[in-house]
Amino acid sequence: MRPSNKSPATNPPGPPCNQHRPIPHEHSSKIKVEAFHLHRHFYRNMEPQSEHDHSPNPKTPESPTTNTCCAKCGCPTNLAPPPAAATSYSEISPPPTYRPIRSPAINLPPNNHSQAIILAPVPQSQKIPTISPPFHFQIPSKRIQSPNDIRHFIDSDSGKNFLGFVVALSESIRGHKISDAFLQSHTVNTILSIIADLIQWVDEIPPTQQSARYGNVAYRTWHSRLVDNSESLMLRFLPNELHSATIEIVPYFTDSFGNSSRIDYGTGHETNFAAWLYCLARMGVIKEGDYQAVVARVFVKYLELMRKLQLVYCLEPAGSHGVWGLDDYHFLPFIFGSSQLIDHKYMKPKSIHNQDILDNFSNEYMYLSCIAFVKKVKKGLFAEHSPLLDDISGVPNWNKVNSGLLKMYKAEVLEKVPIMQHFLFGWLIKWYGVFFSFVNDLLFHMI
Amino acid sequence: MPSHGDLDRQIAHLMECKPLAEAEVKTLCDQARAILVEEWNVQPVKCPVTVCGDIHGQFYDLIELFRIGGNAPDTNYLFMGDYVDRGYYSVETVTLLVALKVRYRDRITILRGNHESRQITQVYGFYDECLRKYGNANVWKYFTDLFDYLPLTALIESQIFCLHGGLSPSLDTLDNIRALDRIQEVPHEGPMCDLLWSDPDDRCGWGISPRGAGYTFGQDIATQFNHTNGLTLISRAHQLVMEGYNWCQEKNVVTVFSAPNYCYRCGNMAAILEIGENMDQNFLQFDPAPRQIEPDTTRKTPDYFL
Repeated sequence: MRPSNKSPATNPPGPPCNQHRPIPHEHSSKIKVEAFHLHRHFYRNMEPQSEHDHSPNPKTPESPTTNTCCAKCGCPTNLAPPPAAATSYSEISPPPTYRPIRSPAINLPPNNHSQAIILAPVPQSQKIPTISPPFHFQIPSKRIQSPNDIRHFIDSDSGKNFLGFVVALSESIRGHKISDAFLQSHTVNTILSIIADLIQWVDEIPPTQQSARYGNVAYRTWHSRLVDNSESLMLRFLPNELHSATIEIVPYFTDSFGNSSRIDYGTGHETNFAAWLYCLARMGVIKEGDYQAVVARVFVKYLELMRKLQLVYCLEPAGSHGVWGLDDYHFLPFIFGSSQLIDHKYMKPKSIHNQDILDNFSNEYMYLSCIAFVKKVKKGLFAEHSPLLDDISGVPNWNKVNSGLLKMYKAEVLEKVPIMQHFLFGWLIKWYGVFFSFVNDLLFHMI
Repeated sequence: MPSHGDLDRQIAHLMECKPLAEAEVKTLCDQARAILVEEWNVQPVKCPVTVCGDIHGQFYDLIELFRIGGNAPDTNYLFMGDYVDRGYYSVETVTLLVALKVRYRDRITILRGNHESRQITQVYGFYDECLRKYGNANVWKYFTDLFDYLPLTALIESQIFCLHGGLSPSLDTLDNIRALDRIQEVPHEGPMCDLLWSDPDDRCGWGISPRGAGYTFGQDIATQFNHTNGLTLISRAHQLVMEGYNWCQEKNVVTVFSAPNYCYRCGNMAAILEIGENMDQNFLQFDPAPRQIEPDTTRKTPDYFL
């Protein structure tokens, strides 16, 4: 008991009785909000994120201003003058007007959610159609804003083919150890050397001494070096006729290693790396025969880099589901890793609880290395901090684990707006406009 | 005066990290709604009070918080949102806080965080946890319907403004906030969304938030807001800070984060902010709670793997 906190804490001055509650100016406040929306659009479009802005409060540009200085940089700012006297507002304005909750609740998940998951088909691999001239590379942009947009993407050729590519990569590594001999093309070797350079940069850019936030600001230095060098890195392996593709593939590449302003990383960034590989496959730079090496060499190297970045710069888990997700950062290595273990002689999904197996085989099987990494960085009981991985350890065989993870990747990553709102579309991964798909449907039905 | 026997029994049950039955949760949410509907968008709070940040289902750390800060109702509490998602015990955490609110309505204030929303909880764990612990989504629906009624901000003694995220370019004054129609799902954009999503930034002015919702606001904005509204401080949560609290913008803004070793891995301390009877400020930091009991972690095959 703390004596200092003993005095009563009734909440003044309300809630007031309904009879004496002032009538709110509902109409005027609505107008205000709408005006703000227009303004917001203006600002979203006009104001680059990096701009150091000294504009006055956007909503009151016409109000009289005084000139003061920004405390950070000393530049003049325009602040509205303070009110004549600080007022106690607590009795001036009314509580809000209430409107009934929408019923049924918006976004209520469908009742048959569980059945829908069970009946959902397992995603199948697809061949990747390669592009031919004339090329129309373009700067890719974000398109997804709503669940409808997600549906649209998933049902489109782009969505199906991208997921089909992930499945094809998974199938290519089925039953293989990482140390198995694979065909390793010049392109694959060049990509490996690029990632090795990115790893080297981490050693060259040590974390700064800081304590405020989790993420270390030195990551931004690493990331800006990545952005500055990305184009030349792409040119290391792109054939001459595809040099113009850099404008389209660089944005996927630079989004593959985390977000520099938030200093975080998550499955969305990992998906960008897969999308970058997919773009290379679309251009024929990566061929089907390369897939095994893409998984066992490139992706494994990428994972090494990502873990180093996560640990050295303390990247926050972007959009982590916490204990209710598969992992704070990754998804694809669980898919590829479970495929590696299909039909393994003695290692079963429950083998993850055997520390000996984790110690001895993590270097050969991505799934085991992921489990070992989780156990290394998380404190507490495995079943509590990673209940989903614990649940999956009860699945009878790796085939079931792999097909379940593929279904889950589609539903929990590719179909989630918070993740996919950042996904990019250009000429290689096309966003089919609503009109286009309408015409497409029409043609399909006419045929 | 109705007897509090049932409620006291439920609180004791919850303090042992045991969830309530579905029907009890429904009754509790109905009672809480009747209380919260009477609260203001800018809920006035008196000192002394202890201000807390994100909890995110870390139940045992919440119990540790009460141990460090004093039990309710001996200590008055103001929680700034994000009770659910990510942690293993969101159900137990949010049920306990709501039960305390119903039992001691003037002693505890619970604000809305960006995770107290239908959309966010479907992505970040609370929905999955309800399904797992109750076998259906009813409890998730009772709570997310209740979340619509949570106040958005609080004001301690007309001086310290408390909220989950931060400021909004469309809200200059506390009166602007009072005029909002808050009883709804957190919108994708607009002033109500901003209060729950925005972050302070080193840069001046308003910036586009890398989170995809809300804004970043500079020191000039916070100074102006405090000046306009006669405030001494904006206290907010929403961001992981290693010491559990972090002053920024020349002490116009403080971040308080109350989930230690966030997500079992981040190695951060947690903190709470005691506001004393004379508005004196005192931060209490704490580490993760020592393990008390083994959780009930029966294995259950997720639908994707059936």
